[in-house]
Amino acid sequence: MMIKILLAEDTRDLNRALTAVLERNDFEVDAVFDGEAASEMLGTESYDMIILDIMMPKKDGLAVLRDLRAQNILTPVLLLTARAEVDDRVTGLDAGADDYLTKPFAMQELLARVRALTRRHSAYSGEELVYADIRLNADRFELSSQNSVRLSIREFELMKTLMMNVGHELDTEYLLDHVWEHDPEANPEAVWLYISYLRGKLIAVNSRTVISGERGGSFCLEEGLS
Amino acid sequence: MNTLKETAPAEPELKDHVQSPDSKPAENEYTIYGDKLPRMQAALDGVLEAVSEYRKIRKAVHGDDPVEHCLSRIKTDASMRDKCTRRGLPFTQETALTEIKDAIGVRVVCQFLKEIYGIRDYLADVSGYTVVREKDYLKKAKRNGYRSYHMTLLADGFFVEVQLRTISMDTWAALEHQMRYKNRSGRAEDSLIISELKRCADELASTDISMQTIRDMIFEEGAFSKPSG
Repeated sequence: MMIKILLAEDTRDLNRALTAVLERNDFEVDAVFDGEAASEMLGTESYDMIILDIMMPKKDGLAVLRDLRAQNILTPVLLLTARAEVDDRVTGLDAGADDYLTKPFAMQELLARVRALTRRHSAYSGEELVYADIRLNADRFELSSQNSVRLSIREFELMKTLMMNVGHELDTEYLLDHVWEHDPEANPEAVWLYISYLRGKLIAVNSRTVISGERGGSFCLEEGLS
Repeated sequence: MNTLKETAPAEPELKDHVQSPDSKPAENEYTIYGDKLPRMQAALDGVLEAVSEYRKIRKAVHGDDPVEHCLSRIKTDASMRDKCTRRGLPFTQETALTEIKDAIGVRVVCQFLKEIYGIRDYLADVSGYTVVREKDYLKKAKRNGYRSYHMTLLADGFFVEVQLRTISMDTWAALEHQMRYKNRSGRAEDSLIISELKRCADELASTDISMQTIRDMIFEEGAFSKPSG
């Protein structure tokens, strides 16, 4: 699928040059020349990424960005700043920009930043983790080996954390911080219950991997004796 | 009714033994078994007796009946004839009682996962019973997501197919069967429908494990608290 970018830049030559380079690199580009037009496009279209010049007529880039974030739209935003104004960059990042680039810039650098911002997005949804005889699919929250089961969100996050730290002991405190970070009610007993769920589910998919560890202690995903 | 049975070998209509213990099958529908029928009924009663025995034992320990319900049936002539035809076998008493191993069928539906293996072990240990064949569709679900533990017993000279499953597995099997065989539009063959039904089966299986884990935590039994099962 083609990655779709909204470009808002009032300098005509730069706008045309950026559009050409991005299109040559297989991005789909909607180009506008002021902030109001950018907000209008954002109201009707959806984009994988947005490039905003800060200084623009009618509505500046920061205002466009603030409106966007106020609507809870989290599309990655790259800001273009006219000079190396520290204030602009700080304000921009604080307003919810993901990255910035100071003019003048090299096209290669712009392309690299665009790739970085769009990659993060796609890698997050389409991921599949593999370890020994198990697979964890992030699109379907599916744990599979010779059999498959669907996990709850919390089980999935815990399994993912264990799979990304194979061979490393993760203590209960670490898991509470990383898997239950937004839940003030969470306690070591919850960690133990979820470890127990996953152990049952590893058996259910007929995997030879096991989670070692005791209640309240450290846990580690490893290959068991088959 | 006959059309349903014809196309639906996986989910035969069983009569509920708890709710209608005295409903005897109409004799004329079971001619294929000849004079063996009373002995078949006795063999079936023996297996049902063993299941009741297990329920009593578990109830004494836990205070709860581990079995939600228990159904059984003897295959009717019509259903047996269909099966013989499908398998390319002659429709005779000999085939019905030897080649076909589910002339007598029992389905035990449990509340919790571990009871499936509890009943399995109990039945396998009944003196005089031999386990002829076992298929663990819990460990390896069928492609469509179907889960159950199937075991064929040789009990009092007759083959008895016992299907063990949880309430959620039973629910899934019943609803999947209903959608698949009662809908003639062809939509049931749709790959989206098939994969969505599989997803439901995988979610229910996951929930069964969670429920078992919660129960074990309450009773401090520690089902999956050890790294390996």
